[in-house]
Amino acid sequence: MTLSHYLALSGVLFAIGLFGVLTRRNVIGILMSIELMLNAANINFVAFNRFLYPGRYEGHLTVIFIITLAAAEVVVGLALVMAIYKNLKSVYVEDYNILKG
Amino acid sequence: MLEYVFILPLLSFAAAGLILAFGRWLPLKGASAGIAVAAWGFSQALLLFVKAIRGGITLPYEVSIPWFSFGGSQATLGVYVDGLTIAMLLVVTAVSLLVQIYSTGYMHGDPRFKRFYAYLSLFTASMLGVTLTSSMMVFFMCWELVGVCSYLLIGFWFEKQSAAYAGKKAFITTKLGDLGFLIGLLCLFYATGTFEISKILELAHAGAIPAAVAGTAAILLFLVAAGKSAQFPLFIWLPDAMEGPSPVSALIHAATMVAAGVYMVARLYAVYALSPAAMNVVAWTGALTAFMAASLALTCFDLKRVLAFSTVSQLGYMMMALGAGAFTAGMFHLTTHAYFKALLFLAAGSVIHAVHTNDMREMGGLRHKMPVTYITFLLGTLALTGIPPFAGFFSKDEVLAAALARNPYLFAVGAMAAAMTAFYMARALVMTFHGKPKDAQKYDHAHESPAVMTGPLILLAAVSVVSGWVLTRHEMFEKLVNFEGALPFELHHVSHGAVAVFSSIVAALSMTVGAWLYKARPEIPALLREKFSPVVEMLEKRYWLDAFFLKLVDIGDRLSAFMFSFDFNFLDQVVIDGWAWLTLKLSRLQGWLDDHVVDAAVDVTGAATLSAGRVARLAQTGLIQNYLLFVAIAVSIFAAIAFAG
Repeated sequence: MTLSHYLALSGVLFAIGLFGVLTRRNVIGILMSIELMLNAANINFVAFNRFLYPGRYEGHLTVIFIITLAAAEVVVGLALVMAIYKNLKSVYVEDYNILKG
Repeated sequence: MLEYVFILPLLSFAAAGLILAFGRWLPLKGASAGIAVAAWGFSQALLLFVKAIRGGITLPYEVSIPWFSFGGSQATLGVYVDGLTIAMLLVVTAVSLLVQIYSTGYMHGDPRFKRFYAYLSLFTASMLGVTLTSSMMVFFMCWELVGVCSYLLIGFWFEKQSAAYAGKKAFITTKLGDLGFLIGLLCLFYATGTFEISKILELAHAGAIPAAVAGTAAILLFLVAAGKSAQFPLFIWLPDAMEGPSPVSALIHAATMVAAGVYMVARLYAVYALSPAAMNVVAWTGALTAFMAASLALTCFDLKRVLAFSTVSQLGYMMMALGAGAFTAGMFHLTTHAYFKALLFLAAGSVIHAVHTNDMREMGGLRHKMPVTYITFLLGTLALTGIPPFAGFFSKDEVLAAALARNPYLFAVGAMAAAMTAFYMARALVMTFHGKPKDAQKYDHAHESPAVMTGPLILLAAVSVVSGWVLTRHEMFEKLVNFEGALPFELHHVSHGAVAVFSSIVAALSMTVGAWLYKARPEIPALLREKFSPVVEMLEKRYWLDAFFLKLVDIGDRLSAFMFSFDFNFLDQVVIDGWAWLTLKLSRLQGWLDDHVVDAAVDVTGAATLSAGRVARLAQTGLIQNYLLFVAIAVSIFAAIAFAG
């Protein structure tokens, strides 16, 4: 297992996440896709730390922070989705156009 | 005493107002106020005259107060008194006084008696203003006031159509002359920079006025003088002015106002003396007037008109004398003429008052009924014709001698006029007072006038008899009224004695012939009248001057009518309306262009912007995923570029 395998996995994951963000209509799907992209980044951090600077932990630490941040983000994001859903009765992003001039 | 001379016109003016406002409650319906003021004025003038003769006062005397200023110049109110002024003052006040006394009888019972006296006082005030003023501007104002009074008094009996017409004619004709006044004054002002008479005279004496400007101003001002003083060709108004009451004729149209023109020429004589051309114009106009007017009097049957023509003729004499360089002679004749012509008019008024007609053909034999009027009229006639030793003899001989000294032709014209004068006066005298009564009814009703009328007649007759002799004693008048400047031409030396003898003989002969013809052989004049009917017609039509002026008015009318039609049909209809039509059309075109070109361009710009916006909006979907897609694409592109580079 070399660094390239990890990076390829991470790239595929990021691409899948990006694809999901761009194509999903369901706002929850979009949130999930964002998680995918975050995790792709996490894999990158961990892989670079393991192969380029073995014995150091800054990359691992950053990943812990990102996971924490993602959890918080999901909390806020889902709360927003819930609030919007209560108002608009829709989970589809194309219906979220009340700020459109 | 000179210090208070300015009160004279003001007092007369006040009297006019007083009579008009309170005349009803004054003695003699206000006449007393006018007479009192005139009497006081006369006493002052007489005192001044005596003092001036004795050398008790220094002349010229001038005092003035500033009135208003314009530019760098100052207009003033003031008096300027010299010998000329005093001579004129004496004439104006004396005649005014006697005429006012006389009018209490003549105008007795007239419904507008009070107004008559107010006008007389106003006239006297204006005339005194003309005489005394120190500024040509005030002179002009008083001059016009005099003209207004003349108009009011000629048309005093305005119920009579002819009187109203005569007033208008007099006013308009003199106004025609007055055209030159302002222009002439401005010419003088241009040359001298002042309206002060004393300064103008000073500059003229010093020769500081260019001869061309002086000549122009002098000739323009002479036109004015010709209007007021009834010189050729503007004398046509004076015979008609006889429609006014006889005292008015005596005061205004014999003694004072008509002499104002002569007075003005004399006042500005230094200016005239700068220009030989102006002097010649004055002299020859005067001579022509003297001759024409005398000839016109020959065929006239209206007693007052005969006297009016005679006045015109004598005014011509005065102008001739002034033009010939004889300043003193001209003013001397003015003075004596004022007295004897006023006398003649008042005597004629007395006759008319008695017989109620002006026509001499309805008179005759009146000397038995009106002895005082007859004697005074006879004395006036003798004075006018220049029979020694009456006043006219002295002054007329001076004038004729001056004419001979200047030019023999002037003298010839003057002498012919003198012969005619004697003839027509003899004719008037005989037709009025001698022979058999032609209208028995009128003759029976005739009676001598009351003492208030005969009194002034007797006084004036006395003055007419002696004034010529008295004023020539010790060269009294010449010392008072003299021109010290240089004349623009040489005068011949003439023998005054020879001229005097010659003219006296001519006058006496002519008078005798006239009297004999009309008294003993009245058929001869009638025969002559028939024989020379074209000449008579010419004289009765007054050399067609009236027709000439009416034609002039007619031409003016036609010209105005043509101008009106040109204005209405061409200027209004074609030029103004055409211009409006063109403007309208141009505006329409411009409006269309505005709508279809300018506005369209603006609209197209707007529409293009709108369309561009619509296209650009397509990219703005409002969907966050789309934007993200663009970001992803862009990042991919940049990444590709980064990797490729």
